[in-house]
Amino acid sequence: MRIYEVFLKRKGKQEFRHAGSLEAADDELALVLARESYVRRAEGDSIWLVDRDHLVVGDEEFVAPNADKPHRHNDGGRVAERRQRIHEENS
Amino acid sequence: MTITDPGVSEYLLCFADDEHLMGQQHTEWIGVAPFLEEDLAFASIGQDELGHAAALYALLVGDDDRAIDDLALRRDAADYRSCHLVEVDTGDWVQALVRHWLYDAAESLRWQVFADSAVTGLAGTAARAQREEVFHRRHADALLDALLSVPESASRLDTAFRHLLPVALGIFEPVEGETVALEAGVASESIAGLRPAWQELVVARFGPVDWHSITPPDQAGRRLRSADFAVRYARMREVNDLDPAAVW
Repeated sequence: MRIYEVFLKRKGKQEFRHAGSLEAADDELALVLARESYVRRAEGDSIWLVDRDHLVVGDEEFVAPNADKPHRHNDGGRVAERRQRIHEENS
Repeated sequence: MTITDPGVSEYLLCFADDEHLMGQQHTEWIGVAPFLEEDLAFASIGQDELGHAAALYALLVGDDDRAIDDLALRRDAADYRSCHLVEVDTGDWVQALVRHWLYDAAESLRWQVFADSAVTGLAGTAARAQREEVFHRRHADALLDALLSVPESASRLDTAFRHLLPVALGIFEPVEGETVALEAGVASESIAGLRPAWQELVVARFGPVDWHSITPPDQAGRRLRSADFAVRYARMREVNDLDPAAVW
């Protein structure tokens, strides 16, 4: 049995969103079963299934070193202040 | 046209009762199917079949829920016109799955004869049902594809297939009122006329079959209920019998 991650999308610009996962013997079975487990009330208009083994995964250890860099959290405030100052100096 | 001829009613009742019984049988697997996703899928398919039955019953007695319930659940057993395939107790999941395949292969063919039906609303019901049947058949095929690749499963499926095949042939027994229905443009083909196409599907799925060696059950033109019907019918009516006046 394989584990598939299920993504659903509504018509329009909304992106595919993760909805859950399921276990199935092969792709076709996964698809017909996902139809009843995840879109039986038309929760999405289209569906993606991704075999979990095919995911490229970065774990927490891989991501962690970037968690302590507040200087990368730019909310735009400093730039806005500078623009305001220049604007006032020129007026 | 609306249905006034008793022969046409009788003819459509056969299909409606098949759909009803098949739906009831499938939904019995809710909570006990082999795995969670299948539990949902199989019960959903059963729900679709019950919807088909309700639509066909409504053609016969109108949209009144009480009238539909009377027809669906408050008849004498002798007045049912189901074939034996949908009545029998399958006992295990392997047989339930094989029956699902055999029945839905036939059901798809049966809806096709209503594509240009003279009965008001029937062609639309058939088109909608047909869209659902595409999925039902895909579901059954996907499971069989996966299971037939495992020797032990393949052997158990084959045993179930050999057991159910004669019973399944009962689907194609000519039914009362069919001649009238065909003349009136209710359907474009007799039920027996669908059998060759179904047999081709069966052979493509399960392999060669010696059709001459197989005898369908004695259904007496669908007037004879199978041994398993009584227990099944009691279960179907259980809630209704507790409170016949209940409003849903």
